Amino acid sequence: MSAAAETPLPAPGPGRTRRSARAWSRRHPVASMVVVRIALGLLTIFAVSIVIFLATQALPGNAAYAVLGHSATPQRLAALEAQLHLNRPLTSQYGSWIGGVLQGNFGTSLANGESVSSLIGPRLENSAVLVIGAGIVGTLLAGILGLIAAARRDKLFDHIASVIALTVTALPEFVVAIALVIVFSVNLFHILPAVSVIPPGTSPLSDLNALILPIATLALVIAPYIFRMVRGAMIEALESDYVEMAELKGIPRWRVLLVHALPNSLPPVIQVVGLNLLYLAGGIVVVEYVFNYPGIGAALVDAVSDRDIPTIQFIVLILAAFYVFVNITTDVIALLASPRRRATR
Amino acid sequence: MSLITRRSLLENAAKGGLALGAGGLIAASSFPAKSSAATTGASTSGTPKTGGTLHAGLTGGSSSDTCDPNTIVNNTDYCRAANLYEGLVWLTADAQMYYRLAEEMTPNKDATVWTIRLRQGVTFHNGKDLTADDLIFSINRVVNPKSPGEAANALHGIIASRMKKLDNRTITVPFSAPYSTFPESLANNITVYIVPVGFDPKKPIGTGPFKLQSFTPGQQTILARNANYWNAPLPYLDQVIMTDFADETSQVNALLSGSVDVVNLLSQSTIGSVTGEGKKVVISDGGGWNPFTMRVDQAPFTDVRVRQAFRLAVDREAMLKTVFGGHGTIGNDIFAIWSPDYDHSIPQRQYDPEQAKSLLKAAGHEKLSITLVTGDIAQGVINMAEVYAQQASAAGINAKLSEVTVTDFYGPNYLKWVFAQDYWYYAPYFPQVNQATLPASPFNECHFDNPKYNSLYTQGLATLNVNLRTEIAHEMQMIDYNEGGYIIPFFPAVIDGYLPNVNGIVESKTGSSFNNWDLEHIWKS
Repeated sequence: MSAAAETPLPAPGPGRTRRSARAWSRRHPVASMVVVRIALGLLTIFAVSIVIFLATQALPGNAAYAVLGHSATPQRLAALEAQLHLNRPLTSQYGSWIGGVLQGNFGTSLANGESVSSLIGPRLENSAVLVIGAGIVGTLLAGILGLIAAARRDKLFDHIASVIALTVTALPEFVVAIALVIVFSVNLFHILPAVSVIPPGTSPLSDLNALILPIATLALVIAPYIFRMVRGAMIEALESDYVEMAELKGIPRWRVLLVHALPNSLPPVIQVVGLNLLYLAGGIVVVEYVFNYPGIGAALVDAVSDRDIPTIQFIVLILAAFYVFVNITTDVIALLASPRRRATR
Repeated sequence: MSLITRRSLLENAAKGGLALGAGGLIAASSFPAKSSAATTGASTSGTPKTGGTLHAGLTGGSSSDTCDPNTIVNNTDYCRAANLYEGLVWLTADAQMYYRLAEEMTPNKDATVWTIRLRQGVTFHNGKDLTADDLIFSINRVVNPKSPGEAANALHGIIASRMKKLDNRTITVPFSAPYSTFPESLANNITVYIVPVGFDPKKPIGTGPFKLQSFTPGQQTILARNANYWNAPLPYLDQVIMTDFADETSQVNALLSGSVDVVNLLSQSTIGSVTGEGKKVVISDGGGWNPFTMRVDQAPFTDVRVRQAFRLAVDREAMLKTVFGGHGTIGNDIFAIWSPDYDHSIPQRQYDPEQAKSLLKAAGHEKLSITLVTGDIAQGVINMAEVYAQQASAAGINAKLSEVTVTDFYGPNYLKWVFAQDYWYYAPYFPQVNQATLPASPFNECHFDNPKYNSLYTQGLATLNVNLRTEIAHEMQMIDYNEGGYIIPFFPAVIDGYLPNVNGIVESKTGSSFNNWDLEHIWKS
């Protein structure tokens, strides 16, 4: 310590890099934040993989028991355990799995011997369509209604919209889903399919009718939160000095709303949209069940009951990566959208 | 002469008006498809029409589903297998055994060697003829010690290395001990399905009425009509699309909105909403059973008085009414209710909490607390446990429920629970005993081991005379009734729903949906 303190100049090599890295990060605050966050994100994902592996080991039984179920005899269990390599030590099981992942090979399913990525890939696409679809529909719907409600604050529309939003917030997904099914496919009208059967090997986008109810359900579930945030942020912006100034200058009302107030209310809204996307990634499982939609939520439930560790690991890693990605993205967008926070600290 | 031939059996039957039972039907030479239960059923209207696609919504599937007949475990597996492959024998929807790919199965004098002759003119989906080599290959595949199939237990005692091919469609199968019930042991979901030599489970090929077109485990299976099926003009349908459902609500919604034509395994609470919307249901008095299992080698059940008290502590009618809306058949703690060997003359055990109380008192268990392990292993099972706990409290039994997941239930503790539940599909009496109540049974969940019972079983397997064998079965059932570890309150009904334009669906006494998985008799108008 004291020897280092007496040294007048830092060692040339690493010191200079560190100093220039600091300088770079000062000049590019957003880019440096992204780099740091990605590094932390990768670390998080790695930690998640270990935790999940240990958690699955703590569950009673294993894939051989789960697959054989009612028909497990000692001979058949032993044969299947050997076939699935379940009798190897834990570290070696985890080691060979993570080794494969680093080479882009996510292993084979213990439930049916297929490659995990080809098994889950199509389901991932199905779920992504739901989450993204619901994200877009829910955000647009909530955004527009929020804008109108803020512009007509305390008028009839604002009151009705706020009450409806509160009511929908209180409803769980399956209630919304079943209500939609009752109204649009089973009892009142018979215009939409009650279940969204997506034949394996086809894109969910090939039958848009089948997507309407699940996307509507999820959109309705997330919209109230976004609506309230848009309304609140817009009201705050509309009360600010610069909006008053703009109005005094005689700028048209729509221009004040969209060009002056809206951009300033975006950062908190983006955070809420991000949070809701994360919620969708987890909350999708209920909707997948109700509509028998072949997505990763149902696949994860299946994989857990089958003790299919490679499949569980793969789906959880994807979800963890999605969380990290959405968090980084919303932070970056929020940062870019707010000039004050974007500025050099 | 205890050797039974087809002729002698039929003669005996004609002479004495004897109960024919399973052995009788099978003796009736080759099975005429057109007279089977499915086509004479009530819901059949008009002449069957060929063509069309049947959309079926089934529950019970998962990503571990398979088309390999050696590893089938759940309802969707059974349904696929029963339509892709065929065994030597099978059950009609009426739970009567008939020859399927076998033309004849004949035992030697002491039932230690069976001669099996295969049906002529049967081809596999790839056009290859069915021969004796395929049968030998299929049996060897099941008993392979390195990866035994589920049906291995039905072939216990087989000396596979000494199977002999007599001609192109006849083989002899030797056993180390008499096995008079060999054919009926093969007549259920877990059977020796016959596959061609060199069978690859990834490219499933059988002789069944349908071929596999595509298969995505846990999601969808597409079956296509086998145009060269030996039992023409069956099947009627061009295509069957089976969709897996995880949840009954979405399954029923799919039926109500017309997305699927048939659904299986509904709960009784949905009957109203299905029929109310103009759809149909078939309520089958199936022979499947959901027993409570008491381990007879563990306290307090080591004392037979405790076991009897637990059996008297259940109000069977009330439980059936609460859990299955009264649909089903009251049980008497004896399994295999539709078996020709079932003794219907044993008095029905009634709900008698007072007698249960006094039995418990005599056994020194006046206030008995016990854990009942339950789980969502089959429809209504958890509700049965809840009702049991309530009913048994009147007898001073304090049953605490411990609900575990299905995977845990059938995990390492399965067959070790002291007081739990289970589910079984229908099987005739002797094959069921072989599975469940002998010391060597693979699923002896009650750890039942009664020397007299065991020797009666051995005696039964050595008895080719059907009537004598039934007498032995009745003696065994008295032991089941007086000392067994099972509480069998009832045989619950199986409820399937279908659209009005689906024909050929009849009651299935086996408890397996769709006429015991017989999709070939179903047609759409």
